[in-house]
Amino acid sequence: MQFIRSKTFHWTAALAGLFAIFVIVLSGFIYFRIDDYLIARSDRMITTQAGFFAGLPRERMISALDDHLEQDSRGVQFSGVFDAKGDRLAGNVAALPDGLAIGASARSVPLVRLDSRETGVTSVRTVARRLDNGDILVIGRNVDETAEVFRVVGAALGLGLLPAFCLWLLAGAWLSARASRRVEEVNLRVQRIIAGDLRERLPHRSVDEPFSRLAAIVNGMLDELETTINALAGVGNDIAHDLRTPLTRARLTLERGRTNATTLEQLQQATDKAIAGIDQSLSIVTALLRLAEIENSRRSSAFGDVALGEMLREVCDMYEPIAEDKQVALSVNISAALSVRGDRDLLLEAVANLVDNAIKFTPRNGSVELELKRGEGETILRVRDTGPGISEHEHEAVLRRFYRSDKIRNTPGVGLGLNLVSAIVKLHGFRLIIHAGPGGRVEIVCPDEQGGRT
Amino acid sequence: MTKVLLIEDDDETAGEITAELADRGFDVEWSSDGLDGLAKARDLRPDAMIVDRLLPGMDGLTVIESLRKDQVRTPVLVLSALGAVDDRVRGLRMGGDDYLTKPFAIVELVARIEALLRRPPETRETKLRVGQLELDLIERTAKRGERKIDLLPREFRLLEYMMRRSDQLLTRAMLLEEVWNYKFVPATNLVDVHMGRVRHKVDGPGDAPMINNVRGAGFILRAVS
Repeated sequence: MQFIRSKTFHWTAALAGLFAIFVIVLSGFIYFRIDDYLIARSDRMITTQAGFFAGLPRERMISALDDHLEQDSRGVQFSGVFDAKGDRLAGNVAALPDGLAIGASARSVPLVRLDSRETGVTSVRTVARRLDNGDILVIGRNVDETAEVFRVVGAALGLGLLPAFCLWLLAGAWLSARASRRVEEVNLRVQRIIAGDLRERLPHRSVDEPFSRLAAIVNGMLDELETTINALAGVGNDIAHDLRTPLTRARLTLERGRTNATTLEQLQQATDKAIAGIDQSLSIVTALLRLAEIENSRRSSAFGDVALGEMLREVCDMYEPIAEDKQVALSVNISAALSVRGDRDLLLEAVANLVDNAIKFTPRNGSVELELKRGEGETILRVRDTGPGISEHEHEAVLRRFYRSDKIRNTPGVGLGLNLVSAIVKLHGFRLIIHAGPGGRVEIVCPDEQGGRT
Repeated sequence: MTKVLLIEDDDETAGEITAELADRGFDVEWSSDGLDGLAKARDLRPDAMIVDRLLPGMDGLTVIESLRKDQVRTPVLVLSALGAVDDRVRGLRMGGDDYLTKPFAIVELVARIEALLRRPPETRETKLRVGQLELDLIERTAKRGERKIDLLPREFRLLEYMMRRSDQLLTRAMLLEEVWNYKFVPATNLVDVHMGRVRHKVDGPGDAPMINNVRGAGFILRAVS
């Protein structure tokens, strides 16, 4: 019976009540309007009849009245002729009623019918005329039949209205029970989510109705949250793990230096090593903060037109000495002057990271090529190298924070480079595509609808 | 003696900075509160200031803004744990002259303060000279004594920056920001590689080295007698 307390039920009951009141008021209005109309019509009729009968000589009038009464099969007509003393001469009215206003317009007057005295006095619409010979003509018509008709119709209406009202209440109860059942289910599931079960989802049917749409949206949000929270939990562990290594190294170095150093130089060496360890930890923290900054999209205000060719040449210029030192051929291949809308500093950082990686993983005498070209409706920035490349099963993994392939365990780095590139690319609405080997091939694809153009 | 006002609310950080600057011959005045710091800045008229961003009493940037409103042009280095580019831009727009993100190396801080104090005046010189080293900005040529040095455009810009700030420690971060206009620290030791090439060209065989590597800190260009 909880539904009785529910708002839906209250609203339905209120609406049902309002509907019933409306129907009653409407019926009353119709009744009174029709009643008025019928009385006015009877009044007109009896006034015309009285005028007609009054114009006839006494004998003719009496016979006309008798005919008139004979034709009244429903027994609603009243008529009578009385002499000046009030004695009945003809008609079915038993006696002249008290207070009869002779010559006045039609009104309700209590009359007794001659042929049914036992039923007593009936209120009848009546006109009375004094004739030229002093006689009094009384013409009446019983309008109680209209009241009767309405009594019947009213009773039918009442009987019809009651089940309708009950039906409304039942519908209200059903709707309210259904809504509260769904809300209860949602409550239950939300409580499970609050309790930590992030895999729980809200119930929804595949029909296009607001509640299901809302549930689908909330479920989408929960999917996103679950992914983020899981990623965060993973990142937390990864950060702790990756910071632990250089910090432990720094601690050990300092501890050993403090105990074993016998000269200032030895102590300085130990300190330098410790500082290097701490610097590595700081570079991890800095990279993470930078990732957070980029992922929060706080830099979209710095968006502008970025000439990609010029940017690639700059990166190439910057990395040329490093490539040369490693005997890696670094080249740029720009097919046209292309530009995109974006943050120049961030895009430069992304490309620099890709080139940095490419040079790092390309063996001696290999080559790294930067390429800028137009695709179909998109601008493509490609970094290609003759290194080992990224195997297909690692394509997703390399975008995870701190992921370091077994092949590169001994290469310096913190495993955040591609993560940063991915975050920057995502911020711009571009796509990062890692192609399968042999050789490394990574592309940043800038679709035209994001502002890419020639 | 060069007077530096440090406004920093963390006692230990302030202690380290004060000690380091004092060792290097600066007269350091310390304030741990924004309002007190502003009052001291007005009274003492220091040659340079180091201001932390988040301070009790009054925010560091508000302190700088108030001073700039009073037409005080003292160079200010803003210190902050907020390292995002937008934060840095805001710090500089509010009147800061340089911005250093925590955590920082003390040598970086000192180098930046020295750079601020000896900020080169806007000169129209077309030839820069440091000892035997000469750079012609019009002809884009470089010479050490009579020996011509063949420089690539990027190397030329790097050497010009160093010659304008000779005898100052230039950290890797400063060079990346000023010469390459990079807003991030690349994974590879880019600066060292470029510097190695410039050094190789400037300090020829048999020459006394002019470009000195300060271990763990950066580089200094010094004239040799």
